[in-house]
Amino acid sequence: MTWNLFSAYLVSILTEGAIFGIMALGLNVIWGWSGDFDLAYYGYIAVGAYMTLVLTIGPASATPPAQYILGLQLPYPLAVVIAVATAMAVSLIVGSIALRHLRGIYFSIVTLGAVYVMYVIAGQFVPLFNGYNGLSGLFDPMGDWLGLDYQSYQYFFLGLSLAMFVLVYIFMARVSSSRFGMALRTLREDERAAAAFGRDIYRLKLKGYVLGAALGGFAGALFAAYLTAFNTSAWAPIEVIVLYSAVLVGGRGNIRGVALGVLIMGVLVQESTRFLPRLPGVGEFDTHHPQVLLAMRGVVIGLVLVLFLRFRPQGLLPERRLVDRQAAADITPRIIPTNSEASP
Amino acid sequence: MLLTLGFGIVTASILALSAVAFTLEYGVTNVANVSHGEILTVGAYAAYLTHQRTGSAIIAAIAAALAGGVVALAMYSSLIGPFIRFGATPTVVFIATLGMSFVIQNTLVIFFGAANVAYTVAPGAPHQVGPFLFTPLDEEIVASAIAITVVLFLIISRTKFGKALRAVSQNRELARVSGINATRVAAATFFLAGLIAGYAGFVLAAFVGSFTPYFGFGFFLITLTAAVAGGLGRAVGTMVGAVIVGITLEVLPALPVPFVGGYISASYNLAFAFAILAVVILVRPRGLFTSARRTVFE
Amino acid sequence: MSAPAATSALEVRGLTKHFGGVFAVDGCTFQTPLGQVTGLIGPNGAGKSTAIDLISGFKLPDSGTVLFKGRAIEGLPPHRISRMGLIRTFQSPREWPGLTVLENVVMARWDPGRESFVGGLLGLRGEQRVRAADELSKAREILDEFGLAGLRNERAGNLSGGQKRLVEFARIRMAAPELVILDEPMGGVNPVLGERMAVAIEGFIAAGTSVIVVEHNLPFIERVTEHVIVMAQGTVIAEGPFESLRANQDVVDAYLGEMVR
Repeated sequence: MTWNLFSAYLVSILTEGAIFGIMALGLNVIWGWSGDFDLAYYGYIAVGAYMTLVLTIGPASATPPAQYILGLQLPYPLAVVIAVATAMAVSLIVGSIALRHLRGIYFSIVTLGAVYVMYVIAGQFVPLFNGYNGLSGLFDPMGDWLGLDYQSYQYFFLGLSLAMFVLVYIFMARVSSSRFGMALRTLREDERAAAAFGRDIYRLKLKGYVLGAALGGFAGALFAAYLTAFNTSAWAPIEVIVLYSAVLVGGRGNIRGVALGVLIMGVLVQESTRFLPRLPGVGEFDTHHPQVLLAMRGVVIGLVLVLFLRFRPQGLLPERRLVDRQAAADITPRIIPTNSEASP
Repeated sequence: MLLTLGFGIVTASILALSAVAFTLEYGVTNVANVSHGEILTVGAYAAYLTHQRTGSAIIAAIAAALAGGVVALAMYSSLIGPFIRFGATPTVVFIATLGMSFVIQNTLVIFFGAANVAYTVAPGAPHQVGPFLFTPLDEEIVASAIAITVVLFLIISRTKFGKALRAVSQNRELARVSGINATRVAAATFFLAGLIAGYAGFVLAAFVGSFTPYFGFGFFLITLTAAVAGGLGRAVGTMVGAVIVGITLEVLPALPVPFVGGYISASYNLAFAFAILAVVILVRPRGLFTSARRTVFE
Repeated sequence: MSAPAATSALEVRGLTKHFGGVFAVDGCTFQTPLGQVTGLIGPNGAGKSTAIDLISGFKLPDSGTVLFKGRAIEGLPPHRISRMGLIRTFQSPREWPGLTVLENVVMARWDPGRESFVGGLLGLRGEQRVRAADELSKAREILDEFGLAGLRNERAGNLSGGQKRLVEFARIRMAAPELVILDEPMGGVNPVLGERMAVAIEGFIAAGTSVIVVEHNLPFIERVTEHVIVMAQGTVIAEGPFESLRANQDVVDAYLGEMVR
């Protein structure tokens, strides 16, 4: 295997894409199937990442100066499990508050508040996760068990991430066609009818919420290993918007659509600024800003989001429904059949 | 303590302006405009640029208001209005305004860069007013906020436009049927809200002393807290909410709270704001001035 | 805790609900017999729909009791009441628009085992698979009965209003509750479909489901019900067989000439 700049680039893109795909599938449970626009979701990804780090790196020391909890140097797989459990616990708290009485924009606003509180605590409360500087030092987890060098490890981790994505995808396909998945959808389609037919809306939504958060936490754990670190700049608004756009653009509720959306947004993020003109700044403001390119990308993605909301809110691949091919049972109709339904 | 309470009063005034503008926008469209904060940001930039060129704070204030009005109107005409006409649910429009907010912030970064812009408007020397210590700038802010609020309420209660505004806010369909052009009223309301919010942006930047393309969004989150606490769409409730939130935000961090240690930053304010918001929404889902006892379906 | 055997399907006593200063339901009291179709009629604003909301758990009563199968259900959340065997419909058809007609009917039954998270995922063990298959064929049967078999893969949201009503009825058949409350099922429905509904209601009774029908369409009430309760201004003002109510002065007054001759 030759290892050059191009293959390094490809490997990292694909790895990130697989992790991103898991994030999107988790969001799809909450936003696609239950139908709740949950802004707290990225918080669960962050919880997964932060927890994975504090469980795998060594205890906080004075050199270099850093403060954080735990530092248990546990094996990576164990840390991942605990991190996912933590994300689920946090989502249980947020969900039990937000899902009980709130719907629509009130729900979205409260979840926005929740994620903002998480963001502030993680980024400012230094004793927890080292504040603004965040955590680092998760190098090649499980690499030494397998005796891999740096290059081989990149391929290994790519394979691991892809395998995890495929497993999650199959799992979600199962859930999608299961009765539980259908029950979630009835909540999205018409809550009142769902309640009239025996569904406990709150509990069902909560279950879906925690499931989605578990996937988010899992993706976060992988993300932390991929980045070898995590701090609040890793959950900048653009990351969040790209994630939600991926789910929307691809097709909410449809896991194939979500996968497609991840692919599209990935390409868009990488390529969107290639063809844009250089714009002049105004007056005394410094225009030669490294952030201008990033900002242009932000504008493109924001516009894509808005355009899709307006013209194709169901996404590129709308949700597919089960088609029943078996011939209808041969029964003498007891009710006067009229094939032409005179419209009322 | 009294110092922070004084800060609280000024903050509350600015917050009240921003919140009332937001409530106007919500009232005529039933949409929570997430890019509301960007109106303030645009106002701040407009004020800064004009101030640099003319050296006059008054002209800067007017420029800020006008820029705000134009931006708000553009928001309505290009996004919110069309989405409503096409039948989008409130959540969809909410997400769209979130996208728009992102686009505007980034556009500002493209033209102005992301750096902190220092904006100094000479505050003047502080002096005693009752138990508080205010600078002339503080007094101007509070006074202008009160004046604008009074004028706004006069417009709403006494003018024909105000009547139309109230009609559309209460029942869009009914207003239409009575011959009111709901779209025009909404557009004009957005312009009016933008004037107020743009001015609030100028005042906030002057008070804080600096701003960035993101500063409006941060303030918006607090605005949202006040507006939701007061009851979305209710102007009076919003004002009261703004006062309460504004003062609480300044006072809370000053209280001896052990767990925070010595490190208190401005961001904690927002976290507090949202904690307040969450509590309010849970206890009184439709705002502080409504009754709570209901099932999810009522 | 065993409840005493009930002779009435539903017993409402002193049900009250006010909004602001207005009493939508004011000391409403009635009983509906088991195994029969009971009508609930009254002029607009009589409080019928609010009463239904209160009974089915969609609104909280200020006071009063509701006994279903001898058990008090006032204040319980709607899904609990539904699981006890009381299902209601709504004034406008509330199908699940994004799901197919077949899915709408299949999902009408609440299946606690398979809808739990774990149950849903650990795949379908043998016995669950059988249940699922049974359910599916039962749903097809019902759709056939209602003449909807050809539409079973159609998105429910694409159906006409009348067809949606039929889907609702199919759902009721599938769920097989002990009591169904139909909230203005004839709203916007043509007479041919009305006859179909009447037959379907007879089917409900035959299957052991008691029925309460809230309706403005009085010929329909006359056609399907054996016992009618009249509400006005939040309370019951008369009850009895439909014929006897024509002559009842209170009822006539309440309707102020709305009665259909």
